[in-house]
Amino acid sequence: MNNPFSLEDKNIIITGASSGIGKQAAISCSQMGANVVLIARNEGRLKETFNKLESGKHLYYSQDITKYHKLEPIIKNAVNAVGKISGFIHSAGIEMTLPLNVLKPAKFEEVYSINVISAFNIAQLISKKKYIGGKTSFVFISSIMAQLGQPGKIGYCSSKGALISGARAMALELAHKKIRVNSILPGMVKSEMSLKLLNTLSDEAKKKIAEMHPLGIGSVNDVANACIYLLSDASKWVTGTNLVIDGGYSST
Amino acid sequence: MTIDGLIEELKEIFELEDVELTEATNLKDLEEYDSLSVLSIIAMIDENFGKRLSSKDLQSITTVKSLMELIGMDSFE
Repeated sequence: MNNPFSLEDKNIIITGASSGIGKQAAISCSQMGANVVLIARNEGRLKETFNKLESGKHLYYSQDITKYHKLEPIIKNAVNAVGKISGFIHSAGIEMTLPLNVLKPAKFEEVYSINVISAFNIAQLISKKKYIGGKTSFVFISSIMAQLGQPGKIGYCSSKGALISGARAMALELAHKKIRVNSILPGMVKSEMSLKLLNTLSDEAKKKIAEMHPLGIGSVNDVANACIYLLSDASKWVTGTNLVIDGGYSST
Repeated sequence: MTIDGLIEELKEIFELEDVELTEATNLKDLEEYDSLSVLSIIAMIDENFGKRLSSKDLQSITTVKSLMELIGMDSFE
């Protein structure tokens, strides 16, 4: 029986592949048979991810994706090396906790640049006819914070909100090219980014956060598995949607 | 911008990698021709010729030559 969740013969570009959700998504996709193209800034951590991949035609590129003009040569190179692109996961992103009174425009530009613009820039490049195969799927890692508010999170929340809105419009615009576009909205998962954030909080605050997740804090695997679904043919009728993976947090 | 430059830009907009595009090609016959590609043409003309055309202006064009005439033949190098 054909496994509809298989990623065999699929070539997937993944940003933020050096840590957290991006790293696990890369590993999990390779386990499902995909060839993965890893992009991140930290070469050392990229290599670590690369070495954990299941065998396949994998590549990695050390690149700051906010240098927008540098991405097309990478994509072209990847297509020549492994073939046309079947999927894209944007998992690169920064956290930002700052109150409004210190949020200067430059800070907004910073968080939008890495969290949003770099994603849309890569999507624009990959969506060219010459780089895509028959069926393509884009997955943007947004956050439940795209739909929930919190003090100190104007920059972060607005960036994650921009991702899901853009994804929705993109899904409609690219449907005729057989490109599906969806967002995943994770709650808090154990990752380098969340651990860094949690360490700034008191034990009481940490306990409170865990309690707000009916199923507890999640793991990067929980999100990676959602990526597999959205990249595979199992989700061929799914586009323009937000997949919430949050242990019940946003339902409380 | 030269005429060749315009043709290159149009090839990019309509994603015509190996297909020929000449002054006689009717843009409306192209597979990728739709309201969105019209917007791309308008943006490209604004950027390269400093002329702000509207979707209405473009309704009348057929061939690449007719687009060039709309832009103004003296606009080309």
